[in-house]
Amino acid sequence: MLELRIEKHRRHFQLRAELRLPEGGSLAVTGASGAGKSTLLACIAGALPPDRGVIRWRGLALHPPPLPLARRPLGWLAQHERLFPHLNVAGNVCFGLDRRARPAASAWIEELRARLELEPIWHAPAAEVSGGEARRVALARALARRPPLLLLDEPFADQDAARVQAIIAALLDWKRRWGWTLLAADHRLPALAQMTDQVLLLQAGRITAAGGWAQIAPDLAAIQPPGFPR
Amino acid sequence: MNAASSSVPPTPAPGSRRWPARALLARGGLAAFTLLLLYPFIGFFLPAGAWQWNGLVPHSTAAAVEVSLGLTGLAMLLVAAAGTPVAAYLARCRRRERLLWEAPILIAALLPPLALGILFSLAFGPNARLGHWLLRWGLPLSNSAPAFVLTQFYVSIGYYVIAARAALAAVPRELEITAALLGQSPARVFRRVTFPLARLGLAAALSLAWVRALGELGAVLVTAYYPAGMPVQIWINLQDAGMSAVLPLLVIFLLTALPLPWLLQLLAERRHEDSAPA
Repeated sequence: MLELRIEKHRRHFQLRAELRLPEGGSLAVTGASGAGKSTLLACIAGALPPDRGVIRWRGLALHPPPLPLARRPLGWLAQHERLFPHLNVAGNVCFGLDRRARPAASAWIEELRARLELEPIWHAPAAEVSGGEARRVALARALARRPPLLLLDEPFADQDAARVQAIIAALLDWKRRWGWTLLAADHRLPALAQMTDQVLLLQAGRITAAGGWAQIAPDLAAIQPPGFPR
Repeated sequence: MNAASSSVPPTPAPGSRRWPARALLARGGLAAFTLLLLYPFIGFFLPAGAWQWNGLVPHSTAAAVEVSLGLTGLAMLLVAAAGTPVAAYLARCRRRERLLWEAPILIAALLPPLALGILFSLAFGPNARLGHWLLRWGLPLSNSAPAFVLTQFYVSIGYYVIAARAALAAVPRELEITAALLGQSPARVFRRVTFPLARLGLAAALSLAWVRALGELGAVLVTAYYPAGMPVQIWINLQDAGMSAVLPLLVIFLLTALPLPWLLQLLAERRHEDSAPA
């Protein structure tokens, strides 16, 4: 179970969020730009410490006290790719794997490479890949260690429609196989709806609606035209 | 569509033939600047008497080169070992705290070398309690190899820390956080992300410290007249035998000491390019 109740002051808003997500569950976090989606995910990841509140995962306190980043059992795809520019794509994807663990994980890495279409750029310097490719490299890197909790911030950014479907299919397969718990933030509601059971709507840092997709469809429809390009 | 795309003129590279006047002006300015920097070297070709390669000069010169390169190398190991963790901390702490810690570092770096030498010889001399204890433990900090190394450490550590801090601070913090979230301990984050990305800047910092320490005369003259390094030996030769005995040592000084920072920089650049694993 992921449980959190946090507050975080940002320059333009104050994030106040409370949620409980059972293990193996999936939750979409949506809202207009600047609503606090990335802040929420960054707080859970540990990149941004909350000002107040608690975050627990499987009974383990992530905050407070802040659990050291290296000991957090999660994978985080940040809003910006943050690829290591001095390494190539392979070096980035395998970065979190110990050298001893790499042979055992080779079949998994091979699967990531194939399903996220990274073969053509596998040996390319990370600094030279395109925006869409960098996104898929960062996604593969976050998944490589098979962490039980996944935080994906805009996983479909810079991807064409066919690739979005390929990523959704792959993530759903892997989620079933590994029992991942998934939080995904994005603007693309149809894509999120295929991948998650629950949805949470953030507006100016506050949760204004939460529940099943059908349950909060009126809330989403009300703000969709200006805020959510499909 | 073809016509439209072919009508767009390609962007000329800076310094290419498209802007000959600007390129010529830039290169002319650089040439003038370079000539200004190299002008003192004309001294090698001006009459200063026959160069004294014989007698006492070769022996003392060889000893001075050995002292300078060996002991400065040792001092640089200490500077890198002590200065890198300090620079890494300063690169990530809050600005107010950084300014506080940087004040004594700047004072050490900006203190006139002769004043530093005098203070050093008083603070570590036999009349001071620490110097007295060290002497009893067989570590004289006056006119000795340890005094030479420690003086060079003092004169160069400030320069190293300031330059290394800038190099380490330029590494995006987000990359370190990402690496840590991929299960890497702080030491491994430094080894696998921070250090490779700051390597060029750290090499430049160490080069700066090396040049600063190797050419140091004022402080070393007071604390470690013996064993004489190259600057002190140049000073002795100038006093004892005049300009004709100094010039050979100057040539050796330039040929042995100064290429090292340049090689260090080249090595760091090459490793930077080759660092991506297959």
